[in-house]
This record gives sequence, structure tokens and C-alpha cells, in this order.
Amino acid sequence: MSAGAGNNSSMVSQPIPFREAAPPRLKAEQVSYAYSATDRSAPKFTLGPTTFEAQHREIVAILGPNASGKSTLLRLLAGLIKPLSGRVEVDGVEASELDLRMRAQRIALVQQESELLFPLRVWEYVLQGRYPYGKRLRFESDEDCLLAANALAQVGADELRDRWMDQLSGGEKQRVILARALSQQPSLLLLDEPTQHLDIGGKVELLRRLRRLADENRYTVVVVTHELNLAAEFSDRIVLLHKGKCLRVGSPAEVYEREVLEEVFEAPLEVETRPSGRPRVIVRSSH
Amino acid sequence: MFISAVAAIGAVLPMAATLSASTARVHKASQIVTVKQVTDETGRAVLVPFKVNRIVSLAPNITETIYALGLESKLAGDTDYCDTPAAAKLKPHVGSMLNPSLEAIVALHPDLVLAAANSANRRETVDALARLGVAVYATDSRTVRGMFESITHISSLAGAAQQGTALVARLQARIDALQTRLAERPLVHVLFVVWEDPLITIGQNTFIADALRWSGAESVVIAKQDWPQLALEEVVRLEPEYIVFTGSHSGSSAAQMSDLRSRPMWKGLRAVELGHVVNISEEIDRPAPGLIDAIEELAHKLHPDAFPGENTSAMNHAPADIRIDVGEEGKSCAH
Amino acid sequence: MRPLTPRRIAGICGVLFALLFVVVVISLRMGTYPISVSEIVMTLFRGAFGHRDEIPSEFWLVVFGLRLPRIALGILVGAALSVAGAGFQALLRNPLADPYVLGVSSGAALGAILSLTFAPHVPGVIQLAAFIGAAATIASVYFLGRRGGQLDSATLLLAGIVAASFLSAMIMFLMTTLSGHELRGMAFWLMGDLSTPPPTPNVLEWLLFLFGVFAVAAGMIYATTSDLNLILTGEEEARHLGVNVRRVKLVVYISASVLTGLAVSVSGSIGYVGLLVPHVMRMIFGTDYRLLIPTSAIGGAIAIVLADTLARTVVAPTELPVGAMTALAGAPVFIYLMRRRVR
Repeated sequence: MSAGAGNNSSMVSQPIPFREAAPPRLKAEQVSYAYSATDRSAPKFTLGPTTFEAQHREIVAILGPNASGKSTLLRLLAGLIKPLSGRVEVDGVEASELDLRMRAQRIALVQQESELLFPLRVWEYVLQGRYPYGKRLRFESDEDCLLAANALAQVGADELRDRWMDQLSGGEKQRVILARALSQQPSLLLLDEPTQHLDIGGKVELLRRLRRLADENRYTVVVVTHELNLAAEFSDRIVLLHKGKCLRVGSPAEVYEREVLEEVFEAPLEVETRPSGRPRVIVRSSH
Repeated sequence: MFISAVAAIGAVLPMAATLSASTARVHKASQIVTVKQVTDETGRAVLVPFKVNRIVSLAPNITETIYALGLESKLAGDTDYCDTPAAAKLKPHVGSMLNPSLEAIVALHPDLVLAAANSANRRETVDALARLGVAVYATDSRTVRGMFESITHISSLAGAAQQGTALVARLQARIDALQTRLAERPLVHVLFVVWEDPLITIGQNTFIADALRWSGAESVVIAKQDWPQLALEEVVRLEPEYIVFTGSHSGSSAAQMSDLRSRPMWKGLRAVELGHVVNISEEIDRPAPGLIDAIEELAHKLHPDAFPGENTSAMNHAPADIRIDVGEEGKSCAH
Repeated sequence: MRPLTPRRIAGICGVLFALLFVVVVISLRMGTYPISVSEIVMTLFRGAFGHRDEIPSEFWLVVFGLRLPRIALGILVGAALSVAGAGFQALLRNPLADPYVLGVSSGAALGAILSLTFAPHVPGVIQLAAFIGAAATIASVYFLGRRGGQLDSATLLLAGIVAASFLSAMIMFLMTTLSGHELRGMAFWLMGDLSTPPPTPNVLEWLLFLFGVFAVAAGMIYATTSDLNLILTGEEEARHLGVNVRRVKLVVYISASVLTGLAVSVSGSIGYVGLLVPHVMRMIFGTDYRLLIPTSAIGGAIAIVLADTLARTVVAPTELPVGAMTALAGAPVFIYLMRRRVR
């Protein structure tokens, strides 16, 4: 089966203790990227060398304003594009060198869903996440169904099982998409701006769920976001990007400095430290 | 699943097994028939029975010819469009000329099927019938002389060679007489209107073009296409002396004349101003004995001075005239 | 949660096959020539077991010479068009796609016209020319429809529409400028005609060849069905799940075009079937392509055989073109489906 231990333990929530000295699950070393409109013109956009690491059960937030290179970095992590320099390693293997099947078994990417052409039931949709494990023609086995059912349970979407996809609300759809990603049994879970269309309750619920999933299933989770406070509250590590440059990597407390944040987000901000030790950012009132 | 497999096999097996046998030519297992090989007018080799008692005609001109030869008792079936003579409408029908029902043809047990290549019959129909073992002979009358040959061929196939020779001789005599009358006269330039809107006329290789020449006329339009479409300005430039319509444009000639005179572009034509608009029978486009009537009618209308003392409007032989001729010969058709 | 199993597919197909069988029997019975069901059955069985001489020659003629080949061709064409239609709907991400939207039928028609003009009545030429025309169109539209090295649905659709219009214009031009004699057959071809005789003397050989081509092309599409299911929920998502989207699109494009070219080469353009049968099957059986492809194939066969039977019997002895029948029946069904979608 797939690499990455502990994936069968979703129903038994006793994670096995893990030593930090083990090699990191995800490693990005000096990855950079550039693309231009045509071969000969100057690059339209570049992502400067970025380095960071993440372990099992860690949530990394890639933070930055719009057009700072967050999505590009995520795609590099997913192995969809090859870095111009440096490497991305997942479980010790270079991400872009993996074949499609292996990559889908290790890395799950959650994006905004495209429009569905034809009606589809939720369970059919989630079951599609088992695709990387099937043989030719891929008729789903009982085990596949069980894992898909588990995935739905883990996101709290059990009761949505027989509903039609196009009749779900934004939050429900979000959970179902996540469930499909979970049924891939990945080691690495990547999410691109997952809180975009959710209200504050939805946002918190999603991040709490991610936290719990990371802990229970020992995923490494990377979330691209521009939500400063949610990132601070829920992530273990922050990668701060600004106009294609990686400015800071570290824990939220380390990264959130007023001057840096003000420069990046171009807004008057104030950083406070909460009792838990995590920072909180508020807008500075103008007087 | 077992049941569905059985159903599937049950559906496929008999079809597959039996189709393998459908390829061979059909023999008339019930009777032995003596056949001779002939080549039809399109160059196909056809095996025709010596004794032909049941004929199916796939074209109105062939039907008309069969009646003219006095062979209507042998006519087992014709198309929906065979209307000359009127009795032909009562015969069993096999469908349209373009797409007759092969089953209907087969159901009539024909000894011989006659098709017209220079008409709406399709080669595909002929091939399909031949494939089924039905004898099909295709005529291809592209000129008036070709029509005479076709009549001769049909009559000999149907065992009425003498009637055929006699009929052709009579028709030929009439045409020759016409040529004598029209000798030394210049051909009248006409615009033959097949369709008014859009304006469609005839090409030089059509049957009508040949018929026109026999009537002492010639189309002003020289075109390789069979049915060229014209702009009316072009007609003005070509200056036809006469405009010829066929009977499909109903109404009396007088009504038609006044209608044309009221139309913007048409009334400017010299031919319309002079009243040189002629309406003749549709038989002009049909390679059948009635054609000669139409040619004579047209010749009278275009060359009135060549026929002194004859009333042009009375020049409409009914096909019955021709029939009477044949009847006088008194030959029987039965074999 | 009931996932699709091979067993379920076989069960549903078995029922549909039985329905097809019934339709075939009905079709065998209907026609101008009077022949009863018992006579048909007798002819079939005697023929199957080699007792040909015991069958009256005309029964033989009607059953094996006329009706059965037409029915067999109808099954082939119906199946090919429906599978192609389902494939194109997925490939182009457009529920309104039908097999002709990419111009394949216009290319085939152009090939047919040219062959009628230059080499009429040579057996097999018209089918071959039509197929070459179809293949040339497939290749051209492919190259026009690429973006960034792979087939892009929107670009492909545009390229196909442009090709179809251009080819239609050329066909119109040729039909008006060329002589009328040989082109009489084209009118029928353009409206769909199942009665074209095979180019080889052996009907069975011809049919087996056609079914062989169908089986290969349909089989290739079928092999991609689980990929197609994923692609339908989003190309990017499918890629992330490990689908080789580029390869799948190419395979579906070529196979569906071959199926369309095959159908059009032997029977002209019969419309509505490739568009509607997949939709109806989706309504009944769901969108899973592993089930949709086989059910569309059988459903299409049933539809064409029914349409052809009606076409040759409603105003007997005149025969309507099959395409006219499918249009007459198809338009109301289409309207009904459209209204259902706007729930």
C-alpha cells in the first residue's frame, strides 16, 4: 500500500509517539521558479529561493498577500511543476520525479472545485479519491468503500453521503472535497485558500478539523492562506512570502513582527501576544 | 448474469449464422428460367429472361413507353409518379423514383425491372436490385435519337420487337417531316425556364436541349452544368427571342403573359414585350413517345410561318393518338 | 454506497440486449413484403442450419437480402454514434456535443462527393473516400484544437465548428457546380441511408469488418472510462489524482472520431442519436461512464433499428430517410431533456 505510516488508524485515535529526530516529511530546499509568457521574453514572475521543512502532524501556513507566489509554491510542493533550482522532497523522494500514480498516493491537493457537468452523488465523488490505488478499469473494492466512508466520517459529512453534489452548500462541499482528498490516504495534504468562501464559523471549523486530522492521521498539512490570525492560531510553521521572495520561515511568534507584516501587507498593523503564546494581529487605529 | 448471457447469445447467434448464407445470389429455386445476357444502356451486363411477362417500371417515361407499345398488361407495377396515361396511376406502386421500396418490387415478382439512368433513378437502387438477383435493365436516353434506341431495346426485351420498330418508325417519320418543314430556317434563340425563382435553365447536355434543337430552337445559355442558375440581368444581355415555360406553370397563356408583364425585370425583356412567351407540355423533358407531340407543339409555336393554315393552339396530341396507331397494327403482346 | 461492479453492468446490458432482440424481431416482421413471424422464424432457422433450398427464394430475399443486413448495419451505426457522442460530451465538457460537432461528418461527406464525381460506381470507393475525408478532418481539427501541447476542450470545440462550417460550404459549392447525375445519391447520403449495399460481395465479411473496427475503437474508449469519470469532475483534479489527462483525451478523441467516421462512411449523417442516447442513458443509469458506454451502445442500436423500421413502413411503399425519422423523434426528446435540466 502507500507509504506513510498510521493511515489505517483513523478509527483508532491513538497516534504512535514519534521522535522529532526522524527525517522531515516535507522538505523544500532553495526551490525557485520562474515563468515567462514566451520562451524568449523576460520572466513575468519569479519565486525566489525558498527553504523550509515540515514534520508529521505539522501544519504549515504559506502566508502572503495576493500575487506573492503562494500558489506557485504550492504547485511546486505538489510536484506539478519542476523547480528552476533546488528540490522538493516528500518522504525523501523528489516530488516532481514521482510518477502520477505514486504522487497521487502521497500528495493530495485540495482546490476550489470546478463546475460539475453532470449530476454526481457525494459518495461517488469521494470514492474517486481511491483512483490512485486501483488497477486498470478500477472497479472499487469493498476496502475502497470502507476507506471512503471513513473519510466522510472524519470530516463530519456522514449524512451527506447520498446527496447530490450540486445541492450542497459551500461549507458542505468544502468538507466533501476534503473527504475525497483524505480517501487518497496521502502523507501530505495541500490546501489552496480553503477558507475563501466560508464565513468565520466555517473557517474556524475547517482549521480545527485540519488540526485534528493532522494529529490523528499524522498528516503534514500545508495551507495557503492570507488570513493572518487563523494562520497564527492553527499553524506550527509560517512561510511568509512577499512578491515572490521568501521573507521569513518560522513559528508564528517568530515570524509575526510588526514592521515585517506592515511592509508585506501594506496596512497599519499591530501585533499582540495572546496568553497561549501565539500572536494576534489587529488593525492599528489611526491616531 | 447467466440469463443475460443467454439472452445475448440468443440474439447474436442466429443472426450471425444466417447472415453467412445471405451472400450467394438468389436462384429461383421453384422454376428454371432461360436467360440471355444483354448489356444495358449504362454498360452493365444483365441476365434477362427470354420470356418477360411481368415488368416493373421505375420511371414515368418508361411507363409511358410501355403503354405506347401496347404492353400494359405486362406492367406489374410502377412508381407513385407515373401518371401518363392516367391508367398507369391504377397500377400497384413501388414508391418514389429516388428511393423505391425494394421489398415492394420483390413482392411483385418481376421478370424484369426497367430503370432510367437519365432520370431520378439512382445507381444504388439498380445495384441493390441486381444484388438480390432481380434483372434490372437501365435505359439512358440523353438525346431524342437515344430515346428511339431505348424504345427499341425495351420492346425487344419485352418480346414486342415488331411493335417497337413500328412505333419508332412512326415517330421518326414525324420528326423527319418536321425537319423538312424547318429546313433552311435559322434556329430560334430561346430561354428555357426550368424554374423562375431562382432562375434556372438548361445546360447543353440535357435531354431538353436536344429536344429543343429538333424543334428548331436553341437555348441562349451555353453551360456544361445541367441546371445552371442565372441572374436575370444575364438574360437581358443574351436577348432570347422567345421564352419557353413548361406546363408546370399553370394558368392560361394570357394570364401568364400579363403576370410576366407586371414583373419588374421580366417586362423589360424584348421577348416579353413582343409577347413571345410560349408554354408547352412537360413531355418535352420525358424520353417517351409523347415527346414528339411536345416537339411538334413547340415547333409550331416558334415557327408559326412554317406552318401556314394550322391553328397552333390545337396542336396537342393526346397520347391516345399514338395508342390508336399501335392498336391498328393488331399485334398481340402475350407470350 | 453501492459501487459499480462488473456484475451489475452485465446485468443491465443483458436486459438491454433482450430489448434489442425484441426490437430486431419486430423489425424483421415489418415491411412491405407480406411475411409472417412464423415464416420469418422458419427462414431464420432453416438458413442457420443450412437447409437453404427448403426456403422459398423470396422469403430468403426479403429476410436475408433486404431486412437483416439493414438491421445489422443499423445496430452498428447506432452503437457507434452513441458511444462517440458520449465520448465527445466528456472530451469537450459539453452536454450538447454530438458526434458531428467536430466536423467529421462534413469531411466524410466531402470525401463522398469527390468520389462520386471522379470515380462513381467503383465498389467501396465511396465508403473509403468518406472515411479518408473523415480522417483528414480528424487530423486537422486535432492540430487546430491544441493548446499548450494538449487538447483543450474550448479550443477543440471552436476548431471543430470552424471546420464543419468550412467543409459544409465546400460541399454546397460542389453540389451546385457539378453535374446533377452522380450527385442524386448525395441527397440521400446526407440524410442518412441504411440501404447502401456493401462494397464486398459477401455481406457477412463486410459486417464483421465493420464490427471489428467498432469493437477496437469502442474498446479503447472503454479502457479510459474510469479516467473519464474523474476528468468530468475537473481536469486539474483528475491530474492530481494521477490521471494522464493528456493521453486520455487523445485516445478518446481519436476513438470517438473513428467511430463517427465509420458510421458516417457507411450510412451518411444520421442525426440526434449520438446526442440524445447518452443523455437518456444517463438519466436512467447515472453518469458513470463504465456503465454509460455499453448502455449507450445498445441504446443507440435500439434507437436506430426502431427509427429505420418506422422510416420504411410509415408511408410505404415510399421510404423516408432514417435521418428524417431520428430528427422527427429526436427533436421532442431533446426539448424534453432540456426542460428537465432547468429544474
